[in-house]
Amino acid sequence: MPRFNALGFGFLAPALIVVALFFLAPVILTVFFAFTNMSTSTGITGGDYLLSQSDLRGVKASGVSDETYDALENAGYLVDDAGLARLAEARDQATADELAALHSGAKFDARRDMERALKDLRDNRIRSTRDRKALAELFKTSVMDERFGSEAAFRTALDGVGIPQADQDILVKEAYTGWVWTTENMKLLFSLDSSYRYAMNTVIYVTLTLGFNVGFGLFLAISTFYLSPGMAATFRTIWFLPRILPPVLYVLMWKWFTWDTGFLATITGYLGIAPRNWMLDTATNAWVVVILINGFVGASLGMILFSSAIKAIPSSMLYASEVDGANRWQQVRYIILPQLRWPILFTTSYQTLSLLTSFEYILLSTDGGPGRATEVWALAAYHTALNNYGGNLQYGFGAAYALILVIIGIAASLLYLRFFNFKELVTKPRIEG
Amino acid sequence: MNANFKSWPVIAILSLVSLPLLIMFVFQIVDTFTNPYPGSIWPQMFTIEHWRFLWEEPATGRSSIWAVTWNTFVFASTTAVAVTSISLTAAYALSRLNFPARRFFLAGLIVLHAFPTITLIIAIFLILQFLGLYNSLMGVILVKAALELPFGIWIMKGFYDTVPWEIEMAGVQDGASRFTVWWKLVLPQVQPGLAALLIFSFLSGWSEFVLPLVLAPGNDAQVLSTYLSALILDDAKPDFNLFKSVGLFYAIPVIVIYLVFQKKLMNIYGGGSKG
Repeated sequence: MPRFNALGFGFLAPALIVVALFFLAPVILTVFFAFTNMSTSTGITGGDYLLSQSDLRGVKASGVSDETYDALENAGYLVDDAGLARLAEARDQATADELAALHSGAKFDARRDMERALKDLRDNRIRSTRDRKALAELFKTSVMDERFGSEAAFRTALDGVGIPQADQDILVKEAYTGWVWTTENMKLLFSLDSSYRYAMNTVIYVTLTLGFNVGFGLFLAISTFYLSPGMAATFRTIWFLPRILPPVLYVLMWKWFTWDTGFLATITGYLGIAPRNWMLDTATNAWVVVILINGFVGASLGMILFSSAIKAIPSSMLYASEVDGANRWQQVRYIILPQLRWPILFTTSYQTLSLLTSFEYILLSTDGGPGRATEVWALAAYHTALNNYGGNLQYGFGAAYALILVIIGIAASLLYLRFFNFKELVTKPRIEG
Repeated sequence: MNANFKSWPVIAILSLVSLPLLIMFVFQIVDTFTNPYPGSIWPQMFTIEHWRFLWEEPATGRSSIWAVTWNTFVFASTTAVAVTSISLTAAYALSRLNFPARRFFLAGLIVLHAFPTITLIIAIFLILQFLGLYNSLMGVILVKAALELPFGIWIMKGFYDTVPWEIEMAGVQDGASRFTVWWKLVLPQVQPGLAALLIFSFLSGWSEFVLPLVLAPGNDAQVLSTYLSALILDDAKPDFNLFKSVGLFYAIPVIVIYLVFQKKLMNIYGGGSKG
């Protein structure tokens, strides 16, 4: 009879909280965000209600009645009690009274006319033009260009200028500055040519880098296996350094190596080639550099895994093959490589997923350039949502990009679970069991 | 195993392919102490002027290198301690204790371990904004520790799995509680794993770039990685000698820690988290 162990949950609790907050919540929220139009301009909390001049075209297209549109576009200035009270507060009662005597009930279409009305004041002159402009605004009857904190306040204002209920609903939608639910992101994602280009770039990047990682990792593991221990350790250290160095510094060394004032340009300069930026001058060069930068880091993982697998091969097998006269190539082909089947499969599946989603080294080196030649999917998500040149960060659209990767990630992780030797992991605890 | 073949062709090929890396490493160090001949890259004379960023007043709008280094240290060590302590208990529970839905949690751990966390960065960015932790060191620490956690639990579980059951059974037999057994008997057994995870998480935090870049871009929470990348991006005319000096300053702790703890770390790098 298994005993329930409260300690188990107690020990697990902190980890569960963290997982809920930073894994489950983000996964769910990525789905939500992907179906919103969240961006810098909508903000991420709520929004206000604001009709600006630039919204008017949208209002016209949205099917409001002509009267409503007219009321919005040609809203004027009205000298009414409310306006006079505001004026009294801004200046003094005498000014308000004088204006009431002169123009009470008057209606003006343009602000200039309203200002002229204020100019008529004789006893309480408003001398500065700027003041008149500001005071004229007090009599405005339009809801345009005014920010309302809530829908109710906006509707009250719309009632005030006599807009019918049916049109109000449309205007409320048009005027809302916050984010709304939408499927537009997904439609856009599948209709843009650039999406297909980023997907192609990702395929190129993952395939070539993976090929380099596995192939070169194999080469390093096998070649260092045949060297004296000291020599092997030296080469392994050289190839391990890219992995432990901070990415920013590692990519900096590559920049120095490839930029137009750097090493390659100087060396090729001796051959009479004009200095150029070998990292960014053509798309092909950018790809070669991106793949080498990632490959030099990735190859070390293969090197470590394959090296330990090769060490596990019984040396009697290798000696026997040599006695039989096998040359090096035959030894590699018929003894070493067959033993590496599983490590190669593991490295391939492990790195496919991490290459698919990582963008750190590309961001640091080419940043997707030249043009968008090396922009991969994960980098496009980052650029759209977190760092674009326009300045308006499109969180919703970026989340749509990310959602695709999240779905692939979850599917692949579940696949790993399927192929993992799960039974071995869940052997029953022997004390309570 | 070299009966039928010679070594030198292998050494020659290896040296040739390692040459670019070697050149980068050598110039990375030499360039921080020398000035090149004008218009070339070959070092000419010794100078320490590239290290002036250590003692000179920072330019306006830039943080002092020491404040940034302190931030980096706080960031790396706090995440390391958080990851290690949470992993220590969670991994023990998963490895040794019996409780409902244990299978489910274990499956969850494998899925989380394989899941590419960087895809969540947009959602996490927005969550931090909601929580008001955006642009603070605290926020990045929380996120980094959280994202590192499945890996930490995975590694620690591996270490716990190797501890013989007999140790615990003996403890329980003598009347100790499971907690006491864990604290007094099991923990000393996994100390190498604990140290390795602590060092690994520290290095991983020290090198982290994307999280601070996205979640804390302000000057107050700047760490060395974002400091260096901002320095490189800012300059119209790149001063590689300065960049390399800052870079070397940044990497020294990594190299020293790696040299000292090489053996301990090798276990972990095999299942490392980088592509």
